[in-house]
Amino acid sequence: MNTFGLAPLLLILPFAGFLFNALVGRRFVESDNRSIGEKWSGWTASGLALLAFIIGLSLAFSLAGNDFEGETIRLFNWIVIPSANFFVEWAMQIDSLAIVMVLVVTGVGSLIHIYAIGYMHGDPDFSRFFAYMNLFLFFMLVLVTANNYLMLFVGWEGVGLCSYLLIGFWFDRVNEKGQWMNADAARKAFVVNRIGDAGMILALILLFWVFGTLNFNVIFESSAELFLAQHSVELFGTTVSIGAVLTIVTALFLLGAAGKSAQIPLYVWLPDAMAGPTPVSALIHAATMVTAGVYLIVRSSELYEIARLSGETILGTLSSSNLVALTGALTALLAGLIAFSQFDIKKVLAYSTVSQLGFMIAAAGMGAYVAAMFHLVAHAFFKALLFLSAGSVIHGVEHGHHHGHEPGEADNFDPQDMRLMGGLRHRMKITFWVFLIGALALAGIFPLAGFWSKDEILAHGSLNPGVVFDIVYILLTVAAFCTAFYMGRQLLMVFFGKPRSEAAGHAEESGSLMTTPLIILAALSVLAGVLNFPFLSEASAAAAEEAHDLSYRVLLEQWLEHSLPILELEGELEALTGINVPDTPIEIIYFVALISTVIALSGLVIAWFVYRRRPETAADPDPMERVKPIWWFSVLPLNTLYYTTIVPAYNWLARFLADKVDWQFWHDWFHDRVIRDTFVNFSSWLNDKFDLNIIDNGLVNGAGRATGWLASQLRITQTGYVRNYALAVFIGVIALLAWFIYIAN
Amino acid sequence: MAEVSIEWYIILSAVLFTMGAIGVLLRRNAIIIFMSIELMLNSANLLFVAFARHLNDLDGQVFVFFVITVAAAEVAVGLALIVAIFRTKRSINIDELHMLKG
Repeated sequence: MNTFGLAPLLLILPFAGFLFNALVGRRFVESDNRSIGEKWSGWTASGLALLAFIIGLSLAFSLAGNDFEGETIRLFNWIVIPSANFFVEWAMQIDSLAIVMVLVVTGVGSLIHIYAIGYMHGDPDFSRFFAYMNLFLFFMLVLVTANNYLMLFVGWEGVGLCSYLLIGFWFDRVNEKGQWMNADAARKAFVVNRIGDAGMILALILLFWVFGTLNFNVIFESSAELFLAQHSVELFGTTVSIGAVLTIVTALFLLGAAGKSAQIPLYVWLPDAMAGPTPVSALIHAATMVTAGVYLIVRSSELYEIARLSGETILGTLSSSNLVALTGALTALLAGLIAFSQFDIKKVLAYSTVSQLGFMIAAAGMGAYVAAMFHLVAHAFFKALLFLSAGSVIHGVEHGHHHGHEPGEADNFDPQDMRLMGGLRHRMKITFWVFLIGALALAGIFPLAGFWSKDEILAHGSLNPGVVFDIVYILLTVAAFCTAFYMGRQLLMVFFGKPRSEAAGHAEESGSLMTTPLIILAALSVLAGVLNFPFLSEASAAAAEEAHDLSYRVLLEQWLEHSLPILELEGELEALTGINVPDTPIEIIYFVALISTVIALSGLVIAWFVYRRRPETAADPDPMERVKPIWWFSVLPLNTLYYTTIVPAYNWLARFLADKVDWQFWHDWFHDRVIRDTFVNFSSWLNDKFDLNIIDNGLVNGAGRATGWLASQLRITQTGYVRNYALAVFIGVIALLAWFIYIAN
Repeated sequence: MAEVSIEWYIILSAVLFTMGAIGVLLRRNAIIIFMSIELMLNSANLLFVAFARHLNDLDGQVFVFFVITVAAAEVAVGLALIVAIFRTKRSINIDELHMLKG
């Protein structure tokens, strides 16, 4: 029995939750018994997310029963334009890749929903929060279950909208300088993402132009066929190879992914996005939405590999895949370095997310699509865990702060500043332990999830020959060291040493509603390595062989095989081009594993020596500030560059356009002088000259005068003498008679 | 005695009609103009009778009776008007009657 028919519920349930909370949730929350109202609102949202997760699970089992082959569930025809031969259906493609994303989105999403019931307790806009969260789930599931690029784009924009709404959830908050921090951050995220989306739209247009469809499978099949047949396509009047087209398309996809997945040069929005509530940071800006870019690249893997094999390059230097790999690796390192200098507990994690997304993008660029997805899943677990634990810490510190102050009292206390924390391991035991697990998993310590997933990416970089792979491997290894170091720094600053503020001294552990999801996520962070456990690879393959049952092949690599068509085409393509598709091993390379373990441990140990005792008070400078080169590099990220170059230039341009071009030239000169004055002159001419002289004086009075003149002339004939009239009659009669005689003849 | 042919009647009638018309156009005495109009009517009558006899058709003679009847009525009205005008203007010179001039 399969349950593919249930797939539409994946979309319907979260949307129903959105409608419930958007339409009536507020009534429940603002009813007389607020705590029960909050439960209705929060648990409806969480319950529907959980139901969607259960449906996702049943779909996964159905897939296993279907030999892992995907199924397409057609819902309705969405766009039908026969004249342009443009047809898009609204159909859900339930294959193994989609299901991995569905399970992560709904699984982690459910836990975060439940956590948020505790975290958002007492917020005046409690139901609005859950409405947005469910809407986000809906759009994210549209994105990952799409069977065509346009539907994916709908989800892509939808999650961007929800991200905007949730970053700006507390849109009325101002900081001490009177700036609208949250609203500004939301706007920044929106604007930066638009840049990436422009790339997406161009890629979509190009794909439709060349292939006449946006359906995934049709595009993949025909691109492979066209490439194997060495076909060229007509584009803008020139003939280009299919490889060149796909190189352009995939490079534009990279721009889109750089926006959504916060890569160089567009990562700057993600750290600011931490202004949103912490569950949002965990769900949208760590676990799910920001991985959409990785998903896009993995989903389009065949296009990337064909572009790589075609030998076409961008500006004659890099294939689009190599560009992806280098972008990811550079981002991983840069964001890892920036994380050194952050004092905000969530911003460290935000830069860490950027860095880890860089790992995933780099893996996808190297052709290690399975490794990218593996890291995506593992990262979703431990980064959601870290964010939620950070939320728990913030909650605890705020609690401690209220211990000494009246709630609502105006002050500048920042509960997210790590300089004001310290020693929290005694006061928040559960949070400390789960945070420790998350941090070690992120740092890549054996045997936690991060070790396995990160190691697979690094193994891939070291295994394949080529300068790009070497560079990426080295960059990622250094980035892995940075990861360990900044996580060590954060752990020590938050949980070790002595409390550096009164609030930290009185911090309290959060309630069980918040700690239970943390414990589940911690367990997942420990165990997620099993998903693609190297030593199980052969064993499960052998078991499947023996039992003649494919469903034993459950490792992520064997599981994803069925939705990455490139893995099947590999041999054919290699034979044609003579270039090797990069190997995607699921084996462990002990040397690489040893290096990364040593590096991770040394990062933690160095952090231990640097931050064990310092800073002692909140005002102490960060010890790393003494290492000037690293510190400067760390505090001078692209953000500063943008705010000193592009943003002022853009503002100048905008002001120029607004003041000079729009106002002075367009409004003052063109509208007022040219259009208005011309019009006024013309109408006054019409009034003074044309109307008064020609119409009034000429036509109207002229008609009167002409009539008068004619009458005066006619009056002459009226003499009053009878004989004149008689003569006229006489002449008339003669004339008539003459006429009659004339016509009679 | 030779038969008087139709041409002679036509010529006589035309002479009479012309005299009447000239009288109407040139004379100023209203009574004489009136008599000239009678002359024109009777020239027409003469022609009617002449043609009736020439064509052996009595219709023309019937017409003459009608014309004489209408002329009698007209004379009654016309003389009454002339008497009325004379009473007010003490003259029947029609050149003095040009008060309706535009």
